[in-house]
This record gives sequence, C-alpha cells and structure tokens, in this order.
Amino acid sequence: MLSGSSVWGTLLILSCALKLSLTQDEHMNNALRLMSETPLIDGHNDLPWQLRMKFNNQLNKVDLYTLNNTHTNIPKIREGRLAAQFWAAYVPCDTQYKDAARQTLEQIDVIHRMCMKYPEAFMFATSSKDIVDAFSQNRTASLIGVEGGHSLDSSLGTLRTMYHLGVRYLTLTHSCNTPWADNWLVDSGAEPSQHNGLSEFGKQLIFEMNRIGMLIDLAHVSENVMNQVLDLSKAPVIFSHSSAYAVCPHKRNVPDDVLRKVQNKKGIVMVNFYNDYVTCSNTANLSQVADHFDHIKNVAGHSIIGFGGDYDGVGRVPGGLEDVSKYPALVAELLRRGWTDAEVKAALGDNLLRVFREVERLSTTHNTTASTN
Amino acid sequence: MVWDELDRRVKEKQQVLSICGNSFKTVGKAFQNMISRILHGGDFLNLGTNLMLCFLCAMTSGDPTTGSAFGLMTKYPLIDGHNDLALMLRILHDNRLSQVDLHNISKVATDINRLTTGHVGGQVFAAYVLCGAQAKDAVRLTLEQIDVINRMCTENPELELVTSAEELNDTKRIACLISIEGGHSIDSSLPTLRMFYQLGVRSMALTHTCNTPWAESSSTIYDVYQRENDSLTDFGKDVVKEMNRLGMIVDLSHSSWATARAVLQISKAPVIFSHSSAHAICNHSRNVPDDLLRELKENGGLIMVNLHSGFVACHGQANISIVADHFTHIRKVVGSESIGIGGDFDGASKFPLGLEDVSKYPALIQELMKRHWTENELSGVLRHNFLRMFKEVEKERDRQKAKGTLPSEAQIDLTRVQNPCRLVLRRPDHQTTKMEQMYSKGHSELVVSRSLVWTMVILISCLCVLMDH
Repeated sequence: MLSGSSVWGTLLILSCALKLSLTQDEHMNNALRLMSETPLIDGHNDLPWQLRMKFNNQLNKVDLYTLNNTHTNIPKIREGRLAAQFWAAYVPCDTQYKDAARQTLEQIDVIHRMCMKYPEAFMFATSSKDIVDAFSQNRTASLIGVEGGHSLDSSLGTLRTMYHLGVRYLTLTHSCNTPWADNWLVDSGAEPSQHNGLSEFGKQLIFEMNRIGMLIDLAHVSENVMNQVLDLSKAPVIFSHSSAYAVCPHKRNVPDDVLRKVQNKKGIVMVNFYNDYVTCSNTANLSQVADHFDHIKNVAGHSIIGFGGDYDGVGRVPGGLEDVSKYPALVAELLRRGWTDAEVKAALGDNLLRVFREVERLSTTHNTTASTN
Repeated sequence: MVWDELDRRVKEKQQVLSICGNSFKTVGKAFQNMISRILHGGDFLNLGTNLMLCFLCAMTSGDPTTGSAFGLMTKYPLIDGHNDLALMLRILHDNRLSQVDLHNISKVATDINRLTTGHVGGQVFAAYVLCGAQAKDAVRLTLEQIDVINRMCTENPELELVTSAEELNDTKRIACLISIEGGHSIDSSLPTLRMFYQLGVRSMALTHTCNTPWAESSSTIYDVYQRENDSLTDFGKDVVKEMNRLGMIVDLSHSSWATARAVLQISKAPVIFSHSSAHAICNHSRNVPDDLLRELKENGGLIMVNLHSGFVACHGQANISIVADHFTHIRKVVGSESIGIGGDFDGASKFPLGLEDVSKYPALIQELMKRHWTENELSGVLRHNFLRMFKEVEKERDRQKAKGTLPSEAQIDLTRVQNPCRLVLRRPDHQTTKMEQMYSKGHSELVVSRSLVWTMVILISCLCVLMDH
C-alpha cells in the first residue's frame, strides 16, 4: 500500500511537471505570437551551396518540399516561421584567382531560380520594404549575400554589377585573405597577415559599399578588419553569422570590445548556431545558444542582436536546433529567460530592419555621386 | 604614350594578377598595333584632313539634299548596332569616367556631342573583352565593361540605358543598349548568360576572333578550340535556345559562316549581324555572302552594315560611295527591310573618307538619298527594321514564358573546357573542417587528454576496488 507522503510527493512532482510544461507551452505560444507580428530575419543560410554540391544546381532534380537531407526545406521554413532569409552565394576560397566570379554568378542565378520555381514560398527581395511586403504576404523574403570578397576578384565594377543582380551584403572575406583584407585565420595564427586589416583598396571598397547601399558583413574577417571597418564605415555594419567570443573563444566570434563598437555604430551581430562556435566543442544545445544571446544583450544591449543560424553551411548544429523548423524553440527559451516582447522582436527582425534602412538611407546611388574605380 | 600608361597600370595590379589574370598583361601588346593605327594612322586625327572636312561641310551645307538627310534623321534618329567606345574607355582611361568628359572625348570617334550631330537616337555599346581573356578572367572583365556602360548611360542626362524595344522607341534621349561581343565572356555558363541579361545585356555575338568551346569564329587568329564539322556544338545550340528564351538577340558578326548557318537553322527568333557588310562587294571573311543573306531574310533578321574601311573596300580607297554600294547590293538580294547600320566606330582603325566618326552618318544617308532610296526604306534602315526585329525577339521570349519554358540547366561537357583556371569544386565542409582542425588542433588535443586522464583514473579506481575484494 502506498504511504501518504509518497502520494503527496508524487502529486507534487506531477503538478510541478505540469506547471512547467504549461509554462513552456505558454512561452512557445508567445514565441509564435511574436513571430507572427515581427518577421524572423536570418542572416545566413547555405542551402544554395547544398544545391550545388548535391544537385549541381539542377533545380529540376530537386523538390524543396520533400528534400530531406538538408537543414532547410519549405515545410521546415514554414514550421520555423522563417520570414526572411539571406541566402549565401558562396564559392570556395580555392576559386580565388581562378573562376570565382563566374561561379559566384552561378550561385546568384540558382537563388533567383529557386525563388522563381517556388513563388508561393519565396519572394525575391532587395530592400527593407521588400522584407516587410513579403511578410505581409506570408512568403519568405529571399535576399542574397555573397560570402567572401574573393568573389569580386578585386573589382569594384564586379561589386556594382553584383549589387544590380540583387546582392545586398558582401562578407568581406571567407576563410582566406583577399588581396585587400585579412581573414579570421590570421588571428588564429594559421595564416600570416597580409594587410594588418584592410589595404588601401579595401578602404575604397568600404566607401563604395556605403555609396551603393551594400551591407558590409564582418563574419569571417580578422579582428583588425572588424575594428578598421567599424571606424571607417559611415553606415552600420553586420556580422551575418558570428557569435560571442567571451562565451566561446573561437576566432570566428566577436570579442566584447567589438560588440560595444557595433553598439555605438548601431549595427547587428547575428548569432551563429554552429556547435564549434557556440561551445568551442563538437556538441552544443539550444540553451547554450541562448547564452550567446544573453551575453551580447548584457554587454552591448538587445539592439544589436539577430539570428544567423548558418544552417546548411555547417555539419554540427545544437540539440534542439537541428534544422530551420526549430527557431520558435529558441525564441521560447529567450522568453523563458525573461526577455521582453520588445527585446525578442528586436532580435527577430527589428534590429536588422533598422540597420538595412539606415544603409539604404545613407546610400547615394540615387544622387549624382559619381562612382569610383 | 598610351603603352607607358598601360604598363604602369599593369605593374600596380601585379599583386592581384596570377596566371589566370594575366590577360591584361599578356595581350596588352596586341592593342599596340591597333592603338598605333588609331593614334597615328587614322585620318580623322590629322589636322589637314579635318580642315578639308570642314571645307567639304561648308560646301555642302547649302545643299538641299544634305539638309533633307538631317531632316530625315531628325524624324528617324539612327539606331546603330555596334560601337566600341567602352573598349576605348578601358584602354585610354582604365574605365575612370571621372577623368572623362563624355561630351567631348579626345582620341576616339564617339562622344555625346558627335552622337548628337550624327543624329544617333540609339547606340548599342559593346561590352567587349579580349579573346586572350578566354579561360582566364573574361567574366570579371566583362562585368567591368557592363558596369562602365551602365555608369556612362545612367550618370549623363543626355543618355538613357534601355532594355526593351518600347524604351528604345520612346526615349527622347540617346538610348544606350548593352551587347556582349564574344561568347568567351560567358565562360561556357548559361547562368552567366542569364545574369548578363539581368544586367541589361540584350545582344551577344557568339564569338569574337576566337572559337569558343561551343561556337566557331570567322577568324583563325587564335588557335583554340578547333573542331572539325562542329561549328555549333550541342551546348552551342543550348546557348542559342537560352538566348531565345531570355529575349537576348543572337549576333552572328564574327561567327564563321558554318556557325551562322547552324544558328539560322535553330533560332526561333530573328538574329542579326550587328556589324558586318556584303561579301559580294568586299570578299572579307567578316562579311556575309549572298546565300547567307537569303537565309537571314527568311529568319526575319538584320544585317547592320559595318563602315570599317577594311570590310567595305577590299581593294583601294574606301569612301561613302563604296559603303553605299553595300547597301545597294544587300537591298537587291534581300530587300531594304533586312538592313541596318552597325558602324563599328572605336572598334576598328580606319574609316572611309567622309565617315570618320559618329557625327558623319548623315553623309551616308545623303548618299543613299541621292541613289533614290525612299523615305520608307531609309526609315527602315535607320531604325524601324531594328525595332521590328527587337520586338520579334521579345515576342518569342513572351511566347516561351507563356508556355512555361524553364531556364535551361544544360551544362557543357567538362572535357571541352578543362583549363588551369577552372576549378572543380570540392565540398566546403571538407575544407572548413580541415582548416578548423588546423586551428583547433591544440584545443582538441587538450580535450582528448583530459578525458583520457579521467578514464585512466576511473579504471585504476575500479582495479583498486577489485583488488581490495
């Protein structure tokens, strides 16, 4: 026969568990509510690269509704409430000094075709207004970021033409130096610095990016480049997929002093979910990703935070964030940790929209400002 | 003088040039002859000739026929099929438009003032890059030429960049269109072709003076991609089909006749020779023989007569009369509806007396008027034939769009294009993992050591417990 105390104990445990799950449901409901009011804008997804590697960009061989060996497909995007995505037009560093420009055009092309093939799911977007319009139509705004300055082949003409093709951010380097900027591997000691940051041409590139309204992305760059660009750029800058160095001291992450500089310049750091950047080890969980959000908020305020999952660009993602359907769980965790609705909305999309609008406002391409060579 | 400047710029770029970027340096010398001819051999720079021309202008200014040529061209401003000002901007000014007054440019045949005097209402500007860039940095160089034309045409109020027949017809400014001169610019990549279209390119010559891996040139200067009986490969046909789908005009100037015939067999839209003349008048391989003219007529296409002396007069002095002979001949073979003008100014070294630069078109029209060409025929030559052809190309695009034709995913057989500058891609996570292993080697070794120590501790403890028992 069960004793009275064990019955009461069991009841207590059960009620706690029930309360917890109710609270969890409440957080999730709130998360979903907030995500229906403010678009979740993710800074970096490598699905286009998966399309190249797995299908040679032959979209007629893919069904994005049933594709099941990637982090990203259309049902998962919908479940994840992903309202806007910067798709990466990435080509490897090996193409530098070879056919990087042509291969980058092919990646830009596959993003365009993906949007044309699934117009009910994707709306090609090139502006902050487009993101808002797509959100109102319940389609995922699809923007393009070129990941790596090597794609430009050191040519401002190429930068401008890529802008005309809809590219709206350029990550200044991938994991290799360009002839005008150093990458993060320089800080790790794995590669020598070539420019102590940016060369003169690199600085000209920053000015031109400001002029035409191209977002400057500092993911993958060396710390010197981070600091120099933050000093030089007239427009706010982004880290499309980088996390907090103080939480995980990986040279792909952003140190606290740089976070404060980003705050001063009203930029954004979009947190990367890759395990190795979250915990500096092979494994991670959702809570540890939320630690990065908390840290950045504590150091530099909630106005500089965003989401930059790096899905389909990395092999190891955290438990609880296995694919793009899991964003709401992370949002629920932030709410559980006491984030206010306004802070969550800022991280979801308001911060990125602010940055984007300011970059658009400062761009002078519609004036008579002459282009530079 | 020009070559010192080029050498200086090449040295500045040495940091970024590799074997795959050497096109600028290694083919720089190829320009020397052309530039020397332009700077030192071109009549239009000779002061005495200029004075003579002024005299001729003065003599003819009272001529009612000249007056009516201007009047006609005011009513029907010329749409010219091919101009290489963009190339000269690169060679002479490194595309630095800030250093150039586009109204009045020295050492070239084209600028806004002279286009206006010449009653040019629309100009197709070629975004041309050297054949030496093929399999190297042709794509990037082409993007830069597209960019310079774009900037030129959007930063000057007298010019307007247009991308449709309607815009071309309706503009009150000088319309600019962008063309590509040579399939080597697309690096055998249909996505690249599509991106060029999106950048505003509306016409592409399948070859320049070099074969591509998929089409044959009329020239044998470059000994590359030689094939027997395969002037337009299967991929070449895919290129033409995709151009039809996009609404990009197929340009057969510089292609071999065999390539041209193959294209005319399969193209569903009218095609053009943007700057070629009549082979029957001057038997240069760049010109078009009569049988090909007839196939072109059936296709609804256009031959836009090139004014370069070397293509107009195979023997003797080129002059306006001989140029007009080309028009007369082509009209006789296929009718005036198939004719346009593609001057090739700034892309060639010598031009006939009286047609030295883009201000001189009215003199040519005057000659045709003297030969009793009607207003209807001349309005066709000047612009209506081009507009009609362009609209047909757009109609084919619209037909295919309505049918739901998808962008082509055809890819060239890699064995046809292997070269040191073409990378066969590897999976990026192998690269990243390799790099990260290099970076985090110390860190991961430490992690392994710690777990090894604890494992040893536990094992030893268990052993001790067992031994106690």
